[in-house]
Amino acid sequence: MTPGQVLLFAVGGLANAAYLFIVAAGLSLVFGALRVINMAHGSLYMIAAFVTVVIGNQLGAGLGFWGGMLVAVAVAGAIGGVVEVLVLRRVYGREHLVQLLGTYAVSLIIAGAVRIVFGANYRTIVSPIPGHLDLGGYSYASYSLFMIAAAIAIGCAVWAMLYRTSLGRNIRAAVADPDLLNATGVNVTRLYTTVFMIGAALAGLGGSIVAPSQAVGSSIDTDVLVLAFAISVIGGLGSIVGSAVGALIVGMVISFGLVIPATNPFALAFVFIIMTAVLIVRPRGLFGLPES
Amino acid sequence: MTLVPRSVRPLVWVALALAVTVVVAACGGQPSGNQSQSFKGTKKVGYSAPLTGQSALYGHAVSQSLQLAADDINAKGGVNGYKIEMDIQDDGTTVPQAVSNTKNMILQDNVVALMGSVTSAQCLAESPIAKQNKVITIDATCNSWQLTMQPDIVNPYWVSIVPNTYMEGTAAGRLAAKLNVGKIFIVSPKYLFGISETNAFVAALKKANSSTQIVNDPSTWYVPFPTNPRWDSTINAIQAAKPDLVYSNIFAADQINFIKQALAVDPQFFVKYPMTTLVSVDELNSLGSQYPEGMHAYMRAPFFALQTNNARLTDFISRYRAKYNNEYPSDWAVMDYDAFMLWAQAANAAKSFDADQVIKQVSGHTFDSLRGYKITIRSDELQANVGETTGTTTSSGGTYPFPVLKDVTNLKGDDLLMPLQMVNEIKGNQCDAKAGDPTTASFALCPSWKAS
Repeated sequence: MTPGQVLLFAVGGLANAAYLFIVAAGLSLVFGALRVINMAHGSLYMIAAFVTVVIGNQLGAGLGFWGGMLVAVAVAGAIGGVVEVLVLRRVYGREHLVQLLGTYAVSLIIAGAVRIVFGANYRTIVSPIPGHLDLGGYSYASYSLFMIAAAIAIGCAVWAMLYRTSLGRNIRAAVADPDLLNATGVNVTRLYTTVFMIGAALAGLGGSIVAPSQAVGSSIDTDVLVLAFAISVIGGLGSIVGSAVGALIVGMVISFGLVIPATNPFALAFVFIIMTAVLIVRPRGLFGLPES
Repeated sequence: MTLVPRSVRPLVWVALALAVTVVVAACGGQPSGNQSQSFKGTKKVGYSAPLTGQSALYGHAVSQSLQLAADDINAKGGVNGYKIEMDIQDDGTTVPQAVSNTKNMILQDNVVALMGSVTSAQCLAESPIAKQNKVITIDATCNSWQLTMQPDIVNPYWVSIVPNTYMEGTAAGRLAAKLNVGKIFIVSPKYLFGISETNAFVAALKKANSSTQIVNDPSTWYVPFPTNPRWDSTINAIQAAKPDLVYSNIFAADQINFIKQALAVDPQFFVKYPMTTLVSVDELNSLGSQYPEGMHAYMRAPFFALQTNNARLTDFISRYRAKYNNEYPSDWAVMDYDAFMLWAQAANAAKSFDADQVIKQVSGHTFDSLRGYKITIRSDELQANVGETTGTTTSSGGTYPFPVLKDVTNLKGDDLLMPLQMVNEIKGNQCDAKAGDPTTASFALCPSWKAS
């Protein structure tokens, strides 16, 4: 493999990692703050992708995408708020199985509704950032580079929100002791709703960003959820840094694993081997905190 | 007053959510057929459909087509005097759910026939269940030749009316050989269909043009199926290998994602690296004008290439579009309509729903087809002599909202069918890599293939 090819596959791995991190960031935020494993996360991502494509195509290529993205993020956040109030608020503090079942039921409802509203056909939207970069004899999609930049920006924004804002301080305090935080006058119930809406909006942002690069259909929720959970487990559920590292590991393993003949047959399996190894050696993930 | 204990409330919500899901799913069901006829009763025909998952697009088209076929049959008095009701159950394009659906349809719903599922992996799992329960299956989508020939899989009630992987791979191999290119890169889904078709492609290619070089290692021909939606790895591997031609049999969402992402890397990607690929109307329609022109396509039943002097197909298209929101029928819709009609005709001729009786009216018999020619079911392996359409993608000039083919060749099924001697060699365990192990059967190991 020449240095140019190493760079080519590394950038491919980064693009893959960016795609996964964008989806997993909201998942990690919600688990970190609320200790809820949100099986409906992929559904919110899917709804946002559909909304982006439909509105983007209505408004026209290019600028239409950005308008679609704004609406999609708002829609995903709003649905997240409704789900939190109607379902999650009733399962906080329960065992994870109840939370899993509750959010899984939500995902099934959304999947059925999406099929009725948007139909079975795949929908596509033209990339708002066309063009490519030629380097060393190989081409790189501008949109993939944008996705990498967007993933970095989202990661930094979530980190800054958690560690540089009063909202983030309250979220961290709620994780440590929600009753004490409540006693200080902070409305923890509303805080939880806000966090879940942010997580849902992040899922929506992920769906919007990914939409121009792939076929948007009624199965994209499950396509992404398995790998998003895998990187969350590897990095540590609830850790944004962990999700970034997990995404990087998975992205690179897939990118290089598939092109090397000796590793091709096991490339995807290797992701889950890593996940299993992490679960055995360090169950809370590489950067996760132990459950109190 | 608290009617439900607080500890039970979360479960109530879960139950409520599940109930709503069931209602939502039920709302998406298909309408029933003609109610005005007088029937002896109702019989069900089952179809485990990928209404969700990787192949949702295909399941959607097939389900609509089967419903239309059932309505058409019922309007003519049904089958053996019974009204036919389609029993369509979503399998999410997964094998376990397809198996579960098949068992449910046979054991609980008492279906009198099944239509084959979409993927060969699903069909491979469904076939033994159908065989054990003596339920005839007419298969118009999954197409691995192993399904009708490999000794440990063969099901005497399984009929294939889709060009199998030998036929299709052979068509693709000849198509690629005609292009007279030096270096070919292969990308294929890693499961029975992909492996079976790719092997047939390589065999036909090598036979037609032995100097052609496959540039990627055989272990990298295959990608996991269903695939990660990101195709960076394959696209970059193609860039690194710089082939003259890419051969692919990836399909549905995988093909759409691959094409979109390759075009994002370079709008001239498929000019630099032309592609010979399996295509259906569904992929063309999904990408519309974004689908690249100049692709060397092989297709199973594209309506636009089969319409000439074909009033039956023209009528089907207009009725399908009228019934289904102006959608164009995909290849899958065309083939599964044929599948249903073939079964109905055979069951009527048999005057029975018994699989043994119906199969006698199928094996060796000839049937009309929407494809504009009659198809005959060869009795040796219950495979129809259906053709394949090849051509190069080009703009339809506004006739359709998607590209069509130019330089069309409708290959005849009789020219693509596996030679009978090879069929018998495979069935006789003469083509096994490990003697006596039919799971290792490969037609390229057959004595007659080697001799040719």
